[in-house]
Amino acid sequence: MKKQNRIGSRLFIGLTFLFLYLPIFLLIVFSFNAGESSTVWQGFSLDWYRALFQNRLIMESLYTTLLVSLLATVISTAAGTFAAIGLYALSKRKRDALLVVNDIPMMNADIVTGVSLCLFFVAFFQGWGAFAKWFNGIQGVVELPERLVLGFSTMLLAHIAFNIPYVILNVAPKLRQMDRNLVDAAQDLGCTWMQAFWKVILPEIKPGIVSGALIAFTMSIDDFVISYFTAGSATSTLAMRIYSMTKKRITPEVNAVSTLLFLSVLVLLVLNNVRELRQERRADRQEIREPSFFEKLSMKFNQPAFRWVRRGLAGAMACAFLAAVVLLTGATSSQPVVNVCSWGEYIDEDLITQFEDETGIRVNYQTAESNEALYSLLKNGGADYDVIVPSDYMIAQLLEEGMLEELDYSRIPNFEKIDPRFRNLPYDPENKYTVPYTWGTLGIIYNAGMVGEELDSWGALYDDAYAGSVLLINNSRDALAAALIHLGYSVNTTDEGEIREAFALVADANRRGVFQGRVMDQVFQKMEGGNAAIATYYAGDYLSMVDNAAEGVDLRYVIPEEGGNWFVDAMCVLKDAPHYDNAMAWINFIASTEANLANMDYIWYASPNTEALEQYPAYYEENEGEPLDMELYEIMAPPASVLERCEMYAVLPLETRALYNDLWIQLGT
Amino acid sequence: MSKELIRLRDCVMSYGDEVVLDHINLYINDKEFLTLLGPSGCGKTTTLRIIGGFLSPTAGDVLFDGVRINDVPPHQRTVNTVFQRYALFPHLNVFENVAFGLRIPKADASGRKVKLPEREIHDRVMEMLEVVNLKGFEKRPVSALSGGQQQRVAIARALVNRPKVLLLDEPLGALDMRLRKDMQNELKRIQQEMEITFIYVTHDQEEALAMSDTVVVMDGGRIQQIGTPEDIYNEPKNAFVADFIGESNIIDGVMRADGVVEIFNRKFQCLDKGFDKDEPVDVVIRPEDVDIVDEAAGQLRGTVTSVTFKGVHYDTIVDFYGFKWLIQTTDYCPVDSRIGIKIDPDGIHVMKKSQYSGMFGDYSSYSEEYEELDAAVPEDGEEDDSREGGYEE
Repeated sequence: MKKQNRIGSRLFIGLTFLFLYLPIFLLIVFSFNAGESSTVWQGFSLDWYRALFQNRLIMESLYTTLLVSLLATVISTAAGTFAAIGLYALSKRKRDALLVVNDIPMMNADIVTGVSLCLFFVAFFQGWGAFAKWFNGIQGVVELPERLVLGFSTMLLAHIAFNIPYVILNVAPKLRQMDRNLVDAAQDLGCTWMQAFWKVILPEIKPGIVSGALIAFTMSIDDFVISYFTAGSATSTLAMRIYSMTKKRITPEVNAVSTLLFLSVLVLLVLNNVRELRQERRADRQEIREPSFFEKLSMKFNQPAFRWVRRGLAGAMACAFLAAVVLLTGATSSQPVVNVCSWGEYIDEDLITQFEDETGIRVNYQTAESNEALYSLLKNGGADYDVIVPSDYMIAQLLEEGMLEELDYSRIPNFEKIDPRFRNLPYDPENKYTVPYTWGTLGIIYNAGMVGEELDSWGALYDDAYAGSVLLINNSRDALAAALIHLGYSVNTTDEGEIREAFALVADANRRGVFQGRVMDQVFQKMEGGNAAIATYYAGDYLSMVDNAAEGVDLRYVIPEEGGNWFVDAMCVLKDAPHYDNAMAWINFIASTEANLANMDYIWYASPNTEALEQYPAYYEENEGEPLDMELYEIMAPPASVLERCEMYAVLPLETRALYNDLWIQLGT
Repeated sequence: MSKELIRLRDCVMSYGDEVVLDHINLYINDKEFLTLLGPSGCGKTTTLRIIGGFLSPTAGDVLFDGVRINDVPPHQRTVNTVFQRYALFPHLNVFENVAFGLRIPKADASGRKVKLPEREIHDRVMEMLEVVNLKGFEKRPVSALSGGQQQRVAIARALVNRPKVLLLDEPLGALDMRLRKDMQNELKRIQQEMEITFIYVTHDQEEALAMSDTVVVMDGGRIQQIGTPEDIYNEPKNAFVADFIGESNIIDGVMRADGVVEIFNRKFQCLDKGFDKDEPVDVVIRPEDVDIVDEAAGQLRGTVTSVTFKGVHYDTIVDFYGFKWLIQTTDYCPVDSRIGIKIDPDGIHVMKKSQYSGMFGDYSSYSEEYEELDAAVPEDGEEDDSREGGYEE
């Protein structure tokens, strides 16, 4: 009986650890996979690591991560240590109360900390802007910058802020263990308080300081949420970069960088634990023992005769640290820059390097979640993008609110190559603000094997025949557009009755259990793996799904008889863009035929460039050694006859947007 | 005997409403061994910390060689302290602990900070380790030393700076009985050898009597009595001092005339004079000053209620008219036997009535009192800590 229990508990422990570590183990194993698959082992290779170290965006965010972690660790360790010492000069009651206050930020949700810090910075920037304007107005000697934005320094401040409690938490127990008379004794023997601090307090609490610093460093390195909210537009940490790389599917490159991140954090934690264990053991023994080689060395080194050597070394280390900081920050600030915000996996990254090599302008390439996320980021302030790539209806909205700058087409000669079909579109009738980036259609993607017939109506989305295997697109505009088209209404209707009718169609199907779930990026894995039969998604993404589909999964794309939706994503420049000239250069570069060909090949979204559209089949054949499947190409870049059946989104009036929002919330989960 | 070195003038220390020191007036002579003696919370450690510079009195002056030093920080005072539980620096070895003060650059005559040459530091440390019998221990980590050895390091660390005054805060409190006795002698020897002033804080009256030139008995933030150990023992000023120093039977009495005091309606000859006629007084009779005689020959008669064998003598508790006396005698008197006692005139000490009258001196609860005393000793180190927050625990 007892023995059985023991086996049971061991099994339980084993399962727990398996559950905890198996995913990480798999991630590490597949980072060494020769192929692209995350499920099938195709042999050992270090290719993904090689690719990693050649990826400039990743290496750059690695620098950023290391720099912010190092600086935040040094500063928060110093601040936290003095704060802890200050706490111990207070009465016990006050100190205990303050230590509880100190614990709260650590237990607080990161998201709350991140959002509140972001709001705080933005509010401060607004106040500062007003002050700087006034100050610059009354005198002409010192020119204060009027526009501050989120960036490396705000992220650093945020990291310092969330690290300090961890340092205090680690230093406080060491202070509690310390004999309070030690400081008195040092002062009694002739030390000033400061000397007593260096000679007595510091050596006593050093273990706490070191472990506090290690934990702070670990926390900084793997922080995502707080960095995400405070880093602004031009800065990305490694964690943020990984996140933007996982938009469609997890590539082995992500496995590789995650493995490195995991291992570095692991090493730090193990280091810290080993150190603590060793200290405990030493404290337990307290016997006289032969000092180890390193201790002898450090004893020798600590002798007064070596003080110049010691000071020299400390000085050299400080200089090296400063130099590293200057190099890392300086290298990024002296160069001309353009800040670009686009979508995840929406560019052939070689183009970035190519542009930088050609022009010497550094590209700060960031990504946003969705049009709506981009909009709120811009509205909140704190973002200083030059070029953004919103979709048609969002462009109209931004224009309505006066947030876009006119483009200087004399410096964008490549605009000539944009097909007339994609010029002067309703969102920018005179074409003064935009250069199209890609275009495409929204249609039905379905698994022919699971559906068993050819689909030709949006009604399939609400059909009980496919109950439990339809994926509803998790975006109110697209989801309701499908229903509106099916009912024969315009996707831009503002008639409340029509919209409610469309919603009822969706809600009803939802109640009947037709939908398997509401998805955005998960659609890739679901459809590629044959786990769902029908989804609404974009043509370009359909092509990438076909490319990655599992064996035997036959995916089809259709724009139903009732019609569909087509869209254009276009490059625009924000009002007050800090690098307008560089933005023009970037837009012209991306509008070129070569860039359009490369992008089309990489992201499978159609190009608006006439030459690129013509040349792509040949380009493909040359690169891949096989002819392009023209049927697929027609899905990617449908002919005018198909576009005629499709309607483009227009910006909806505020009340209608509010209605969309309300209805979408009603749908529940 | 010699010149005055330190004077506390009307020193008051209070935290809010709580008065810890109540108008302390005290002077300390050069080369004197002075002990501040009292129970927990009497203010003795506070007084020491004021002299050391760790506390500044709320009111009053601290004078050193006639100069007011209230605002001089500890590191600029020519006093050094041996702390409770030693406060040795755990990260340094014995040599470096002792050398600690010497390594701090000190201002010379011209005000420039100078460092002692390494040679001199070495010689002075070694010399001091010899004084405290710790030669050969230089390289040991302090955590590897016994309590007594740590004690010696603490003393050496303070004395190596050649202070004019050494402050010792319950330095023997953490040692066991045997070691304490040895260290008492050792400290006395060092004090005489080095010829410097010791100000010693303790709650142990035996220690105080054995070592001091002058004993200052404190209670409730006030000085109760200052005097030589003999004065304090033989001529306690009030019931508190009488009770705190040694064992005492303290009985209500009335002074009938110079040299005549009445206890239990019986007149006794004594040596005390200068009281008003018929003034109520406290009468102290030390347990060893009582002779046991036959019941018939006794000045007082009572019944033995308990006998404890103590080695040299018996602690005999005797009930006289409901008041229990402690008598230390070499004669064995069985429990319940009736005895008489005789007291010589020099065995009787008469004190004025004070706030302490009636609080001490009855041995009705003899055994409990012993237990209380035992329990009180280890706790005494906490004195004064609670008030300042600080690094306790």
